[in-house]
Amino acid sequence: MDTTNARISNAPLPTREELRRRRNPFLQLFRFIGTSWTMWRLAQKHH
Amino acid sequence: MARVVVLGAGVSGHTAALYLRKLLPDEHEVVVVNPKPTYNWIPSNIWVGVGRMAPEKVVFDLAPVYKKAGVTFVQAKAFALWPEGDEDDARPAVEVEHTSAARDGETEKLRYDYVINATGPKLNFGATPGLGPDGGHTVSVCTPDHASEASARLSALKDVLRTKKQTVVIGVGHGTCTCEGAAFEYTFNVEHELREAGVRDNADIVYLTNENELGDFGVGGMQFEQNGYRTTSQLWTESLFRERGVKAITGAAVTSIEPGVIHYDQLDGSHNDLEYDFAMLLPPFKGVDWKAYSSSGEDITGDMFAPSGFLKVDADYTAKPYEEWTAKDWPRTYQSPAYPNVFAVGIAFAPPHQISKPRKTPDGVPVAPSPPRTGMPSGTMGKVVAKSIADMITKGATEPTHSASMSEMAAACVASAGHGMRTGTAAAMTMSPVVPDWERYPETGRDLKATRGEIGLSGHWVKRMLHTLFIYKAKGRPGWTWIPE
Repeated sequence: MDTTNARISNAPLPTREELRRRRNPFLQLFRFIGTSWTMWRLAQKHH
Repeated sequence: MARVVVLGAGVSGHTAALYLRKLLPDEHEVVVVNPKPTYNWIPSNIWVGVGRMAPEKVVFDLAPVYKKAGVTFVQAKAFALWPEGDEDDARPAVEVEHTSAARDGETEKLRYDYVINATGPKLNFGATPGLGPDGGHTVSVCTPDHASEASARLSALKDVLRTKKQTVVIGVGHGTCTCEGAAFEYTFNVEHELREAGVRDNADIVYLTNENELGDFGVGGMQFEQNGYRTTSQLWTESLFRERGVKAITGAAVTSIEPGVIHYDQLDGSHNDLEYDFAMLLPPFKGVDWKAYSSSGEDITGDMFAPSGFLKVDADYTAKPYEEWTAKDWPRTYQSPAYPNVFAVGIAFAPPHQISKPRKTPDGVPVAPSPPRTGMPSGTMGKVVAKSIADMITKGATEPTHSASMSEMAAACVASAGHGMRTGTAAAMTMSPVVPDWERYPETGRDLKATRGEIGLSGHWVKRMLHTLFIYKAKGRPGWTWIPE
C-alpha cells in the first residue's frame, strides 16, 4: 500500500494548461471524432 | 427445421440471438431463455449508481424486441443441461424453470439442435462474508437495483459530508474478482459527484483492489506511446489518482466485512483492517448454478464445466505456470470439446487462465484478478458463434466456420471518471489484442499502433454516445448491424 501511494504522489501531475485542454469543448470535439473513428476502425479491422 | 436455444440475454447472448435470427431462414427457430424480462446495458449502471441516470434508461423489455425480430422468448432460468438427451427422448435438452408471473415455478425441457450458453456470471457475494447489499454491509452497481440503492446511499453520504469527515472505499470484494475497470469508474464518478456537491474536502476516498499495480485492469496492464514517450497504464492511472486526490490499496484480497470495517490480506502476508463509512465493492463471479447430465442421468457437470462453473470450450486447459502461458491457450470457436452442438460465450466460457499474473499471500489467499470477458469481446464472441451455427445449419458445415480469439481481437474500453456534458471526463482506451501475444509483439505483447489511452471530456461524450448506440443496436432497430460490437 505504501509503495502504491508513494508512486501516486510521484506520478506526473497534469498542468493547468493540460487540464484546460482536456475540458476545452472545441479541442475535445476533434478528439471525440478521432477517438470514435479509431474505435470504429479497430472494430472493423479486428472483429 | 433446427432449433437454437440461447441461454442468457446479456451482451453476448442477445447479440448471438439477433444475428442467428438474421442469418437463419424462417423455418429455423431461435429461442432465448432469460430469467429476467429486461435487457440491461450494464456499462451505464455506473451512472445510475451516482444518480446521474435513471434506472429505466439502462434497461428495456425484451419481449417486444424478440417478437418483432421473430425470436421466441422464454422467461426462465436454466437449471440442467441434457446434451445427450434423456431416457424419454434422444434429442438434447435444456431444463428450465419459468420465472414469469404467469408461469412462475413451472419446469420444462426445451429440446435443441444447438445451444449457446451465455448465462453470464453468478454474482458470488457469498464468497466473502459481509459482502454485498443483500445481507451484507456494502453496496454494488452490478444490477440496476443495486445501483439505485448505491445512489440513495451516496446521496445520504453527501448530507453527512457537509458536517463531518467520512471514508469512502470503492473496489473489489475478493482476491479473484474481475471488472476492476467498473470499480475504477465508480471511484472517479463518486469523486466527481462529491466535488460537484462541494463536499469533497471531507471525503477520504480509497480504491481497494486485487490488482498488483494500478492500471492492470485484469489484463496485465498496457503499454502505449504518448507525446513521444512509451508509457504504461500504471503510470497513466497513477497520474489520475494524484490529480484527483484518491488513495489506493493494491494487491489486496478482502477476506471479510463487518459494519464499518473491511478486513483484507496483502501479498506481504499482512492482515489489515480498513474503516469505512461508505463502501462499494464488486463481487467475484462464478458460473450460474446448474448441472449437466448424461442420457442415463449421470452427473457430468465436472466433465463439461470448470470448477469455477464456467463451460469448458476449445481452450488449452492444461495446468502450467504463468511463464508458459501463451496466446494460443485461448479459445477461438467457443465450441464444447465434448458436444459439438454446445457453445459458450461471454463470461460463461471458462478461460484457460488469468491474463494478469496470479499471486498468493503467504497464507495461500489468492490475489489473482480474473480475466475480463465483457463488452466488445463478449459481443464479438456472440456474433461469431451465431455465424458458425448458421453455417452448420444452412451449409452443413461440420465444424465452426468463424473464430474470434481474445488473443487476436481488439477491445475498446471507455472508463467514465465523471458524468456531465461540460464537466464529465473519461479514460478512453483501446488495446489489441486483449490477451497479450508475446510471440507476435515481443516488446509489449500488443500492437502499439492499436493500443492507446486518452483522458478528457471527449471520452465522456464517446461513452454517452455508445450508451445510445448500443441500446439502439440491442433493440434491433433499422441498421443495427452497422453498429460494431
